[in-house]
Amino acid sequence: MGVSPPPQPFSRQLFYSFFKSLVGKDVVVELKNDLSICGTLHSVDQYLNIKLTDISVTDPEKYPHIGRLSVKNCFIRGSVVRYVQLPADEVDTQLLQDAARKEALQQKQ
Amino acid sequence: MCVFRDGKVCVPRGGGSEPEWGPRGASLPVGVSAQLTMFRYQSLEDCPLDEDEDAFQTLGEEDEDIDQFNDDTFGAGAIDDDWQEAHERLAELEDKPATARELEDGAVSDEMELLGHHEENLAERLSKLVIENELEDPAIMQAVQTQPPMQQPGGLNSSIWDGSAVLRRFRGPLLTQEMPSVSVLEYAMPQRPPQSQEDDRDLSERALPRRSSSPIIGSPPVRAVPIGTPPKQATVPNFNQQILCPKPVHIRAPMQQRYPSPYGERMSPNQLCNVPAGRMSPSQFARVSGLVCSPLTSMNPKLLQGRVGQMMPPASRFRAFFGAPPPPAPPPSQQQHPLCPGSHLQNLRPHPQVFRPDTTHLHPQHRRLLHQRQQQNRTQHRSLNGSAGDRAGHRSSHHEQLRKDPYANLMLQREKDWVSKIQMMQLQSTDPYLDDFYYQNYFQKLEKVSAAEEMHGDGPKKERTKLITPQVAKLEHAYKPVQFEGSLGKLTVSSVNNPRKMIDAVVTSRSEDDETKEKQVRDKRRQTLVTIEKTYSLLLDVEDYERRYLLSLEGERPALMEERKQKICDMYDNLRGKTPGQERPSDDHFVQIMCIRKGKRMVARILPFLSTEQAADILMATARNLPFLIKKDAQDEVLLCLLRPFSLVLYHLPSGTVTSLLQQLANLPQSATVPAPANLHLAAVLQNKFGLSLLYLVLSRGEELQNSSAAVELMQDNQWTELMSMATRELLRIPEAALAKPVSTPSNLLSLFSRYVDQQKLNVLETKLQLVQGIR
Repeated sequence: MGVSPPPQPFSRQLFYSFFKSLVGKDVVVELKNDLSICGTLHSVDQYLNIKLTDISVTDPEKYPHIGRLSVKNCFIRGSVVRYVQLPADEVDTQLLQDAARKEALQQKQ
Repeated sequence: MCVFRDGKVCVPRGGGSEPEWGPRGASLPVGVSAQLTMFRYQSLEDCPLDEDEDAFQTLGEEDEDIDQFNDDTFGAGAIDDDWQEAHERLAELEDKPATARELEDGAVSDEMELLGHHEENLAERLSKLVIENELEDPAIMQAVQTQPPMQQPGGLNSSIWDGSAVLRRFRGPLLTQEMPSVSVLEYAMPQRPPQSQEDDRDLSERALPRRSSSPIIGSPPVRAVPIGTPPKQATVPNFNQQILCPKPVHIRAPMQQRYPSPYGERMSPNQLCNVPAGRMSPSQFARVSGLVCSPLTSMNPKLLQGRVGQMMPPASRFRAFFGAPPPPAPPPSQQQHPLCPGSHLQNLRPHPQVFRPDTTHLHPQHRRLLHQRQQQNRTQHRSLNGSAGDRAGHRSSHHEQLRKDPYANLMLQREKDWVSKIQMMQLQSTDPYLDDFYYQNYFQKLEKVSAAEEMHGDGPKKERTKLITPQVAKLEHAYKPVQFEGSLGKLTVSSVNNPRKMIDAVVTSRSEDDETKEKQVRDKRRQTLVTIEKTYSLLLDVEDYERRYLLSLEGERPALMEERKQKICDMYDNLRGKTPGQERPSDDHFVQIMCIRKGKRMVARILPFLSTEQAADILMATARNLPFLIKKDAQDEVLLCLLRPFSLVLYHLPSGTVTSLLQQLANLPQSATVPAPANLHLAAVLQNKFGLSLLYLVLSRGEELQNSSAAVELMQDNQWTELMSMATRELLRIPEAALAKPVSTPSNLLSLFSRYVDQQKLNVLETKLQLVQGIR
């Protein structure tokens, strides 16, 4: 076959699984270039690339070009994300802990 | 013909014309041809190397027959094509961008043929490389817009490159108005009148852009089912009810197309319209979103609709972008989609267009939530969005950008599909429960919660569909490191599948003689943390056993049960500290665990698995150390999570245990001595929410026991009476302000107290503790 990117091992699918459950929720993505984008999580893939819809730049509108033009959707490459701010009530922390523990176990094996 | 000294005769194989070293399919360097010449001789001895003149002459003659070696080397597949010709043709095409349709058709179809020819050959070869069973996977195919079942005339069997998509041309009403002036890639834009929209063939892409002479970049794809794809058969009727809308939503007239509906009942007309939304490949999506006010948003429906595949989109990233909720909104039951691109579209079209992405691969609970959300947003947007005047204004600008789009058609639909398939393949999961643990469990829990709520109502409003995730059978790949022929020994290459130890890191445990006190404390805490984690692993395993039972065979089950029991014992040992000595003299280990927040949560989760004695033991230890724990818990406030499991345990306890439990709570030694005027232990308990709630539970249990038939002993138990009087005394003594607010006040406390105190005190207690229902 041609060159294909390596499949994500289970150890990296925790975040994918987690973000999948957040699809449709409002999140704020902070990028490594300090830009913060608020939007609805449209989809995520195994590389944690994020697609947001209904975006707006949060507080300091240092990037007005995004706000003024009617750019409503964006695709963010996973590697440039620094933080993703989530709604707290959408997360089951106990379950997340369990998932992380399982993943740690898997990695050991 | 030449005759050699030793009598061998060599006959050149027919005279050939002068070999054309120019643009030939196979051009061999002279040296190679000379070598080939050599092979024609029977043996090395026959080589007339010493016959210089003759040899050269032969060589010269052989050069003329170079074409014959083509066949030897390349077989019948060597294409005799003239790249110069092809190039000229392509150049022509660029010069006349879009003059006449027929001309274009001719040119393009020529081009098509040429390229198609290439493609088919290459595709044929490549398809042989594809692993067969993977091709059967419907879910990967869902990622793709090409239609596999359709056979190319070239006889490509189930190849990804199949599908007439490549050879279709894009027909779009908007394009008829625009002349691609700038983009080289748009040379082949057909100028079709809008009426042609009614074609029932799938019209997906634009014609092949000039630059790519061979669209096939790599090898073709495979089909496999990614995570989360529901199987076709099982869930069809369910989806019918859940997804499909009663009314079809029509895209505006000129763009209307008919979509093939391979799934019959499954696809309602509405869904058909919306189906393309689901077919978008990531690249298309990126294109759409990448272009500001993308002109392609208007065109893309065409693109998408062209290749209407019958299958459902595989994973979340293929969900389409266009989810415009138009004011005359069609039915709510469609799935997520964002209004954002929708708002573009809304601005573009006179009729509201709705792309309903197909989210049937999502967990049903997830889907429901998304619906609700979408509805909410819809109502919001309805109020926010402008009138038709706004739309008109936007439209022109969109068209403007449409014209200048230089990035269109960089990839063929087939190429995009191929990339999508690769990505989808990676998501094939052999064990979705493990791989996708968080997602599945999260929505299962949500479902349980909503089911619990709905039980109070009329019953489930919506069907309880289960998310069926297909599982691919695990293929055992024994990784064989790459071996090179001819190398001595094995060269091992370090790779993802075969990691090699690069650094020799030796773990040395520090054993310093003079450890300070803080270090000791810190180490102890770390030790506790490690214990907690180990116990947690055991706990997760034990919680998993139920699921494993269902999956395992009959014969394995006893072994599983044994394992489970063993693990439970291990957990308990961990909790209480191993090697207890005689009577578990120290609670220290347990208390340490309980000082840590996750330790408390863990204990709460473990309790249901323990036996009654073990659980009672834990309860005792907790009660014994309660003030200390309360003090430590001031920050975390997690003790309350223990209430529920404790109450469950209490339910099973015999009366004697209950008494001693109360004793522990009140911190009385076994033999009742004269109690101090103020029982600090109990006071502390009463001032804490958890403590007070626990006390109430214990008292309530005692009362229950008293009321039951076997409770006569309790009544006669001096200890119990004493404890009760002590408890009531303390309750009376403590100021109301200091009293904590319990989680719940059991109803039988009043009757309990009435046994031990007189009426006046009872009234005081009543008001103080708010024992009577309704006074809150």
